[in-house]
Amino acid sequence: MRSLSHRARFMALGATVALGAALVAACSSSNGSSSANKSPIVIGTSLSLTGDFSADGQAFKRGYELWASDVNAKGGLLGRKVKLEILNDNSSPTQVDTNYTDLITVKHVDLTFGPFSSLLTAPAAQVAHRYGYAFVEGAGGSGLVFSEKLPNVFDVALPVVNSLDPFINWMKSLPASQRPATAAYPSADDPFASPQVAKTQATLESLGIKTVYSKVFPEEVPDYLPNANLVASKKPDMVVLGSTDVPTVSSFMHAFQQQHFNPKIFIATAGPDQGGAFVSAVGAGNANGMMVPNAWFPGFQKASSMKMVNEYVQKYGGSASDVNADVAEAYSVGEVVAQAVDHNKSLSNSKIISYLHSGVTLDSVEGPVMFNALGENVKAIAFVFQWQNGQYVQVLPTNAQGSKSIVVPKPNWSG
Amino acid sequence: MKFAAALPSQRQAVAQVAGVLVLIAAAVVFPLVFTNPTVTNFAVITLIFVCVASAWNLFSGFSGYLSLGHAVFYGTGAYFLVVAAKDWNVSGVAVFWLLPLAGLVAAIVAVPLGLIALRVRRHTFVVITIAFFFIAQLAASNLKVTGGSSGLLPPVPNFAPATFNDPFYYLALVMAVLTVAVAWQVRRSRFGLQLRAIRDDEDRAAGLGVRTMPVKLAALVLSAFITGMAGGLWVFFIGEAFPQFVFDPLFDLAVVFMAFFGGLGTLAGPVLGALVLEPAQLYLNLQGGNGYESEILFGALFLVVILFLPRGVIPTGGEYLRAYRARLDRAKEGSSKSEMAADSAGTSVKGGVS
Amino acid sequence: MANQIAQAIAAGILGGGVYALMAAGLTLIFGVLDIINVAQGIFVVLGAYLSYVLSVHLHIDLFVGLLITVPAMFIIGIVIYWLFIRPLRGAERTSMTLLACFAVALIIEGILYREFGSNYVSLKAWYTTSSVHLFGFYLPVIYLLGFGLAVVAIGLIYLMLYRTKFGRAVRATMQNQTAARLVGIDVNRVAALTFGVGTAVTAIGGMVFGAISGGFTPNSGYDLISRLLAIVILAGMGSIGGALAAAVFMTTAEAVVDIWQPTWSVAVFYLAMVIILTVRPQGIFGRAGVRAQ
Repeated sequence: MRSLSHRARFMALGATVALGAALVAACSSSNGSSSANKSPIVIGTSLSLTGDFSADGQAFKRGYELWASDVNAKGGLLGRKVKLEILNDNSSPTQVDTNYTDLITVKHVDLTFGPFSSLLTAPAAQVAHRYGYAFVEGAGGSGLVFSEKLPNVFDVALPVVNSLDPFINWMKSLPASQRPATAAYPSADDPFASPQVAKTQATLESLGIKTVYSKVFPEEVPDYLPNANLVASKKPDMVVLGSTDVPTVSSFMHAFQQQHFNPKIFIATAGPDQGGAFVSAVGAGNANGMMVPNAWFPGFQKASSMKMVNEYVQKYGGSASDVNADVAEAYSVGEVVAQAVDHNKSLSNSKIISYLHSGVTLDSVEGPVMFNALGENVKAIAFVFQWQNGQYVQVLPTNAQGSKSIVVPKPNWSG
Repeated sequence: MKFAAALPSQRQAVAQVAGVLVLIAAAVVFPLVFTNPTVTNFAVITLIFVCVASAWNLFSGFSGYLSLGHAVFYGTGAYFLVVAAKDWNVSGVAVFWLLPLAGLVAAIVAVPLGLIALRVRRHTFVVITIAFFFIAQLAASNLKVTGGSSGLLPPVPNFAPATFNDPFYYLALVMAVLTVAVAWQVRRSRFGLQLRAIRDDEDRAAGLGVRTMPVKLAALVLSAFITGMAGGLWVFFIGEAFPQFVFDPLFDLAVVFMAFFGGLGTLAGPVLGALVLEPAQLYLNLQGGNGYESEILFGALFLVVILFLPRGVIPTGGEYLRAYRARLDRAKEGSSKSEMAADSAGTSVKGGVS
Repeated sequence: MANQIAQAIAAGILGGGVYALMAAGLTLIFGVLDIINVAQGIFVVLGAYLSYVLSVHLHIDLFVGLLITVPAMFIIGIVIYWLFIRPLRGAERTSMTLLACFAVALIIEGILYREFGSNYVSLKAWYTTSSVHLFGFYLPVIYLLGFGLAVVAIGLIYLMLYRTKFGRAVRATMQNQTAARLVGIDVNRVAALTFGVGTAVTAIGGMVFGAISGGFTPNSGYDLISRLLAIVILAGMGSIGGALAAAVFMTTAEAVVDIWQPTWSVAVFYLAMVIILTVRPQGIFGRAGVRAQ
């Protein structure tokens, strides 16, 4: 009896190993792409279509796809059509490594675009680097990615820690009597949110603004009520909230409303920039006066940007304000790579890398792009926006073109 | 008579050993034949899971205490490796020498955890392991030494790109083989017998003199050691350590599913489960499309296995084979019974195995 | 400071009610059927999405919508039990039901992704942002309603358990399945109905969760299930009233710790659970020796 099941076991084992090897070998024999001249250029990327980052991953997908269809409408790159190969990494680093390895070594893509989130960009960039691929991305801006010091990484987005600079500068520009006396700095424990808030707190404290609350709370909590209540109980003049998504901001706003607390200035690092999603979560009246930093917004007065917004609305419906900044970042990635390829007249990744490191200034729907040695975009513009009577309005830097005046103090909650 | 009965089982033994050697030889030349990095990437991750699934089964399958917190050991090993490599300035191949240490740290962590968790019975045990898991994830997110929510990066090895995965592959292979060997030894030993006694009826085992707590704890510590080593290898391979990825609730469930799929408590079960399920999951995601399809598919597959193959593939497969063989034997017996009747009654022995 | 602590306690008590509402189904199923329903988190989210569909597409008020979502989830619960859990038997039943629940959770999550995508949605009504002034604090109306619902739901479950024939059958099954069968109780029917009731209560929990959360996606179930499990184990299997007490204790402790160190406050949940369990493995309100394994 035992010997039989042993034998059965080994047979099963051997069969499975053979099957597994065959399965894997089969998918390895799938053909890649371009060697002929008119065959499409294949660009590979891994995006978080499900899992924690799925909302942004989907937005990125649309941005990449919009770019691809625009490029193809104009005749493609180097006279060849562009084809996107998008894999789902389910917001997992194990999968993202596998995906890029597959894209590069099995599907033999010509170029790679980055994934969403620094957490996935960090390992993925290593894979790309190993095989000599340029890695232009729009969502890996945390210190972790740049600490790898990889020469092939290029982040088109504004370095995260500088996002609130226009806000800080505005505070500096106010005469002392007009500055808020007290401030609260609640922040989610996240490499996107907390560095900006920490920098803001440090600078504003040196200006004499008193910190009455400064705490970091866990990123994923089902309900933020206790923390929001604590902030409200201190009644600060100003609240700088380190958030990464709409629910966090929305929870704080609800709690403030329930506590009948209305700060004179309320800025959140993410959430109010989500257009329609934000407004429907908090209510049109409540959105009034909320501020948020971002490098781009759908109303950006740049021809290529407005064209992209129009195309998005035509293709996906909704209104202009629904266009997520992620879409613009993804689109910019495509534009940057296209400009490098066009300039070099070649798909060579090493040439792309050296061109992008040459200090040249490129153009994108988000504005100018120039990379320093680390791959940070040092010419990225930072804006601060404010909701004013249902309109998403650019307000900072005060002297930037298109900036309107800030509404201060923030209007009271109105459901 | 003894000789005649011994020969077939001797032949079985030789066949088994030969089979294992062939498998191992095939595994050794695998990366030389399939040089494609994606294939070896799959293989490394799969072998790591073979290791983890077998180690998990060594504890949970043999003792019957379902642990949903093994990610604690995996993560402890992983973080230790990254922190140690940073602090002691280790890089390149030398990092591999830190692996046994990573396992050791995980094993040490298992002691207090086990002392607390193993005092309660099955249900509560499961939930305590879940609680430990979340505590560990919290600790990793909040402690400076683990880099908090910003995570940590292990050193990047300078292996040649074309064969980058190979050192990882061979190490994972060695670990997997050793793990299965250890599991095999445990099963054959008195220790394994005690574990199974605990699984079947703990009170009775205690009554028969089995010292249940030390036995359970020893199994947990051993399992944790291996799992910690696997975690260290994984984090070095993947290249980053973040709390929510290192301590991932789906990890534990995937491991449980693998062991279960293959056959809980068997030797080859977790191996089979890992070999089938991990490449399947990686591959499904490679096919693009919307991620939720693979999720629904996985859930459905899970349910199918639980409902129709409740003991796992290998025991159920073994049963089918046995039933088939028994039918064959009965047919043979039918024809030879008539022969026997023609002979004189008495001393024929039909061999003991059926 | 004292004011902050008092407010934290107030928020904690109310929050505990909401969690109890979400955990009630879990503890009922756990106590009666010996099943750790790890799908409970996604059930809450499912309830929230059902309320969302009624509210946004049919403009039915959240509370009125419960008249539809509660029976709907009752039926869903019975179907899930009958198809996927009842057939499981054997020595490994504990592990198998656990895995089966997890598989069901995966499937439901995938379906929700398919139907609703990964965007955040929330439940809104005129009362989700209003508050009343009581005892010197502003207490959010939705939390008060949630707490009230929790008390009512738990009260109803107690009524069912102790005043109806069905409830007696449920209690008998909880104590000793074999004996229950021997006295003629259709254990399968009791089990299925109990699972249905547990899921139905979760529909209410889902609605309140959706209203207070500020935004949820199919992924939101994971954060919930860990806390719900902690509450249920702390309370003790099958103790519904105990679940309310445990939930209130946990959320209050968390809210108080938030005053000093929010990042560690979540740990309170789990540490409390571990500590209590080392001292009293059956939970605070559980009965010793109810389950040998």
